Amino acid sequence: MTPRVRLTAVAFAMVALACGDIASPRRDDFYEWRLEAPSPSGSGLDTISFHWPADRLPVRIWVESADPLPADVARAITIWRDVFLYGEYDATVVTDSTTADVIVVSGVAPGPQLSLTRLNRVMAPQCAGTTDVEVSDDHTQLRLPIRIYINAQSAPGSPGLDACLALTVVHELGHSIGIFRHSSNPADLMYFDPAVTLPSERDRTTAEVLYHVPSTVEPVRP
Amino acid sequence: MPRHLVFLALLLTGAVPTVHAQTEYYARIGAIGATNLLHDVIVTELTLRQSIAPMIALGGSLPVGSRGYRANLEATLVSGKYHRSQDGNSDNIGTLRTATLMLGLEGPVWREVRWRAGLGAIQYWPADDEGIFLSGGTTRFLVGAGADYRRPVMAKWDLMTSLRYDFHRFRTGTLEARGFSQSQGVSRASLSVGLSRSFR
Repeated sequence: MTPRVRLTAVAFAMVALACGDIASPRRDDFYEWRLEAPSPSGSGLDTISFHWPADRLPVRIWVESADPLPADVARAITIWRDVFLYGEYDATVVTDSTTADVIVVSGVAPGPQLSLTRLNRVMAPQCAGTTDVEVSDDHTQLRLPIRIYINAQSAPGSPGLDACLALTVVHELGHSIGIFRHSSNPADLMYFDPAVTLPSERDRTTAEVLYHVPSTVEPVRP
Repeated sequence: MPRHLVFLALLLTGAVPTVHAQTEYYARIGAIGATNLLHDVIVTELTLRQSIAPMIALGGSLPVGSRGYRANLEATLVSGKYHRSQDGNSDNIGTLRTATLMLGLEGPVWREVRWRAGLGAIQYWPADDEGIFLSGGTTRFLVGAGADYRRPVMAKWDLMTSLRYDFHRFRTGTLEARGFSQSQGVSRASLSVGLSRSFR
């Protein structure tokens, strides 16, 4: 091989090495996550989108110490954090409920309150979950904390109860990250009565997209 | 580690007394900057990049032939933040360490200035296994080149100033699992100063 041929080969190798960029996947398969609420002006609907801003991370979650709730919440935090590629969401369990952004308790959600938006998961026979999100009347503020209620509807140790609780906690925490609507696809974790135990690709894409769309409400502590 | 790297490392640590006297050792500290680790589009375009970070370099070289060429082995360690930029906003998202090991050749350019070029590997060690590093770090093939300037400061010691450039293609197991294809070309450049035990 002559020096000229060698040099040309090296040049081609360097060009081949350097060319092309990483190609990102298409993210066009997601579902509607935004709430719709009657506009305060009385005409039409407002679309309410929320995600935790970077300066509020990690989200502070207080969880009632009723087994298996703490372990289920810790697992759910990991599951949702791992959905994101760029650190868009993180949460931590705190011991002081008065400073928590999200409160998770065991039991039935209290009666309906007008200012609350209630996101239910009620179809499973063993357990049920509810997430209460309070949005200000002018639809500019989300009043903290977000409250999650996890209710065991069968006796402790009943078949399927632990799995139901674990699944329900992940689903309800999905509401608390900003997925305020249910998917219409039974294969998604955020389906109103989910059968899968982990976020699907559509759940993941929805969560990713919602964290890159501006929020219409700001989280505030009244 | 490839056998030739092990052999050269043994030589550089003085395992062979006859070449020990001609062995040069050096240590430098400096700063390194890199181009984007990746581009992505989620609603709008975003980029991920390592921040300019401190680095340390350790290495050594042995003479090869009689025309002033030397074979060298150099390791670097970098620790710094990496951040996401999108729509004019930038957020730190974690700590990232990289280590490189490069085997190369160097030769004279002009007076105390010498060129060098080499091949090796770069290892990414994220502080936390999350995000694009959810499945852990990654090791990539690396090519690099640079120039060194040495100025005698003591009988056997030189002040060494080095300019380096290296290139690798970046991707992680997580990115692959999440549907990213191909890989991102990453260029890095560093400037560092240190001391070398003179081989003159």
